[in-house]
Amino acid sequence: MNERTDVSAEDAFAKKAKQQFDESVERLDGETQSRLNRARHVALAELGTGRSIGVQWAPAAGVAVAAVLAIVLWTGNPGTEDMAAPAVASDMEILLTGDSLEMLEDLEFYSWIDLDEEMDELPETENNVG
Amino acid sequence: MEKRALRIAEINTRDRDEAFDLVQDAMIKLAKNYAAKPAEAWTPLFYRILRNRIRDWQRRQMVRNKVMVWLSRGSEENDYDPVATAPDPAGRTPDENLESHEAMQGLEDALEELPGRQREAFMLRIFEGLDVAGTAAVMGCSEGSVKTHYSRAVHSLRATLGEHWQ
Repeated sequence: MNERTDVSAEDAFAKKAKQQFDESVERLDGETQSRLNRARHVALAELGTGRSIGVQWAPAAGVAVAAVLAIVLWTGNPGTEDMAAPAVASDMEILLTGDSLEMLEDLEFYSWIDLDEEMDELPETENNVG
Repeated sequence: MEKRALRIAEINTRDRDEAFDLVQDAMIKLAKNYAAKPAEAWTPLFYRILRNRIRDWQRRQMVRNKVMVWLSRGSEENDYDPVATAPDPAGRTPDENLESHEAMQGLEDALEELPGRQREAFMLRIFEGLDVAGTAAVMGCSEGSVKTHYSRAVHSLRATLGEHWQ
């Protein structure tokens, strides 16, 4: 019983600590956030220059992603059934330019960098990092 | 993501500018070397890089502080002020903000007193929300060690912060 009480008190403490931390993150002022934004852009610029793994497959991956998106655009999805054909063609044009292919390759990474919520499931990772 | 990382680095360094540099450095390293890794590996990888950067920084600071003490120079020019001046986006009153800020400041002070591994385990589990396996991956230790460090951290913090935090 005492052990259970202690565990729930620890949980309550952890919850309060998390809440305080989250609020301190929310309190970050505009200047700080803008500075972080710039830092993120600097880091993302490295994607274009520092990619070393799988670089030879990158164009193929980009084309594959574009192809999937193209199919989605042409066939439509639940939210875009009334999409006009010219708009689709224009989207395709944008998608198939070289720059966009590069952007598509990095899309997932960009989204992650933007993510504010924590991820729950984490795999084993390398020890020799940093 | 980077906002949380900044706060975590800031709590460890007690210096926002230094925290910025460390976070940016970690983001660059991640983007440069690990962007091709599976997406689910990015968070633990990022925090492992950041953790290593923070530890390197702390080691350098220790050396610098020793030199500074030896040279008898104080730290009068410390103008660190974590109170945000911009309007509160969550719409809290200044009093509520102050109360919350003071509570967080108390927690940060208490965290500073913890042994490094306990502090890391607590911050990764609570602030970043990593699970035990993810925390173990970042810290480079077993899941059992994470549980021990975390439990000791919570115990010490509760004892330090006392009734204000109950």
